[in-house]
Amino acid sequence: MRKTYGNLLPGMKLSDLQGKLIVVEGTDGAGRTTQIDLLKPWLEELGHAVLDTGISRSSLAGEGIKRAKEGNNLGRVTQSLFYATDFVDRLENEIVPALRAGFVVLTDRYIYSLMARAIVRGMDGAWIRSIFGVALVPDAVFYLRLGIDDLIPRVIYSRGFDYWESGVDLFPGQDMYDSFRNYQTALLAEFDRLSVEYQFDTVDASVEPRAVFAQLKEKVLDVLESDSRKAFISKMYDRTVTTPAPKLAPAHPAGPAEGTRDLDLLLRKAAQRYLDRSIEHALDPSNGNGHGALHHK
Amino acid sequence: MHIGENNSFGRIGPFAVFYPTQPVLANIRLNTHGDIPGRLFVVEGIDGSGKSTQLSLLHKWLQAKGYGVVFSQWNSSPLVKDTTKLGKKKKMLTPATFSLIHATDFADRTEHSILPLLKAGAVVLCDRYVYTAFARDVARGMDRSWVRDLYRFAATPAVAFYFRVPLETAIGRLVGARDGFKFYEAGLDLGLSDDPTESFRLFQGRIIDEYEKMIPEFGLTVVDATLPVEVQQTQVRQIVTNHLERATNLRVKP
Repeated sequence: MRKTYGNLLPGMKLSDLQGKLIVVEGTDGAGRTTQIDLLKPWLEELGHAVLDTGISRSSLAGEGIKRAKEGNNLGRVTQSLFYATDFVDRLENEIVPALRAGFVVLTDRYIYSLMARAIVRGMDGAWIRSIFGVALVPDAVFYLRLGIDDLIPRVIYSRGFDYWESGVDLFPGQDMYDSFRNYQTALLAEFDRLSVEYQFDTVDASVEPRAVFAQLKEKVLDVLESDSRKAFISKMYDRTVTTPAPKLAPAHPAGPAEGTRDLDLLLRKAAQRYLDRSIEHALDPSNGNGHGALHHK
Repeated sequence: MHIGENNSFGRIGPFAVFYPTQPVLANIRLNTHGDIPGRLFVVEGIDGSGKSTQLSLLHKWLQAKGYGVVFSQWNSSPLVKDTTKLGKKKKMLTPATFSLIHATDFADRTEHSILPLLKAGAVVLCDRYVYTAFARDVARGMDRSWVRDLYRFAATPAVAFYFRVPLETAIGRLVGARDGFKFYEAGLDLGLSDDPTESFRLFQGRIIDEYEKMIPEFGLTVVDATLPVEVQQTQVRQIVTNHLERATNLRVKP
C-alpha cells in the first residue's frame, strides 16, 4: 500500500495505486529533461503507459507561476506556496489518477527540488516538510548529481544564466555568475542533505548522457520488474495452495516451512523467465534501442 | 482581549538579505514592541455577519483621527488572484488546492504589503485573515494542524474581532441583497446538497463551528453582530483605541 510522507489529503485513496512513481531529481542543468525524454519512449516501447509531468505544468497554477516569475516580484513565501499549489493540483489530478490506471509516472523534479529551493531561501525546514507531507512516497528517486564546476559550463553554453536559476532574488547586487555559483552551491548542499533523508538513488550526471541513460534503464527495470515478479510469484503461489496439496515428504523436518521452499523455487523460475525475456528483448532488432545489433553478428 | 503569547502562528522573520544563516520564519513576534511599530486589526465572521461594514466604519474613523491606515482584503493579491479566479470559474479547485491558492495569495499580501506596512508604522486593517482559512479549509476536510502550520508565516494581529451571528440572521441579510450564492461560497464543491441555499446553510454551519473553537484557541474578540451597527462600532472603537494608545511610533499624518 502506498504512503504519503505526512498528512493524507481529503478524498485521496491510497489503495489500488498500482502504477509506479519514478522521480528524476537534480539541480538545473543536470540533464533531467534529456533523460526523461529518453526514458519515456523506451518505456513505451516496453509496453508501459507513461505519464510525464514536472514543475509548473499544472493547468491550475502553471500560467500564474510563469506570469509571477516574469515580474521578478515574487516573494519567497509566496513562491514556495505557489509551487505547492501547482504540485498538489498535479498530484490530485494527474499523478494519482495515472497511478490508479497503472501508469508509470515519470516526474521531472518532485517535492525535493521545491523543498531545497525554499530552504536555501531561508524557509523553515519543518514548515516546508509539513506542507509537502501530503506528497506520495515515490517508488524511486534518481538524483542526477552534478558538481558546481561541471554545471557552470553546461549552463553557459546552453541557455545562459537565468534570473531564478541564478537565485538573483537571494543575492541582489551580485553579477549573474557569482549569484549562480553561490545559489547552486547552496542548492547542491541542500540536495545532498535531502538525498540522505529521503534515500535518493544518486547517479553521477557528469558522464555522457548515454551512459547516464544506460544506468537509469537498469534502475528503472529493477523498479518495474521487482514488482511484476512479485505479482507473478504471488499468483503462482495462490495456485499451488488452491490445487490439492501435493504430498511433499519433508526432507528436513526442522528445515524451512513448505511454503517458503515453494516460494524459493518460484522465485528462481521467475528470475529465469525475466532473464529470458530481457535477452529476447535485447536480441530483437525491431525494438530499435541499439542492442538489436547483437542479432546480426 | 489580546492575542495570547502561545498561539502557533505569527512568527515571521526579517525579509532583508540574510542568507545563509537565518531562516525566514525566525522567532520574531510582531505584536511586541521593538522593530515593528505598526498595529494589525482584523475582522472575521461568516458572510452576512456585517464585519465589512464595521471595518469600513473603523477605517474612516481612524483616517479622520490622522492615523496612517491601510486596508487589505482577502484574496486580492495581484500576482495570485487570476489563478484563483481561473480555479473558481472552471471549478478546478479541490479542498487542498483551494487551501493552498488562498495561502499563496495571503503570502504575497504579507510579503509585499502587510508586513512592510507594519514595519513602517501603519495601522493595517484586514477584512478576513488566517482564521477564515482555518474555518473554511477545515470545513472542507483539511487537517486542522496542517492548515495552521501552513499559515505560520502570518503576522499576529493586535486584535482579531469575530462578529458572531446566528446562521439564519446571516442568511436573511444575504438573500435580499444578492443574486444567489456562488459555487465555492456555498460549499457546493462538497456535495452536501444540490440546493445552493441549503448547501450554504450546511457549509456555513460547519464554518461557525470552527470559529467557535477558535475563540479560545486564538483569543478572538467576540462582537455580538445582532446588536445595532452603532453599538457594535462603539465597542470596536473602544478596543482599538486601547491598543493604539499603548502604541508608540505609529505613523500619523503630519
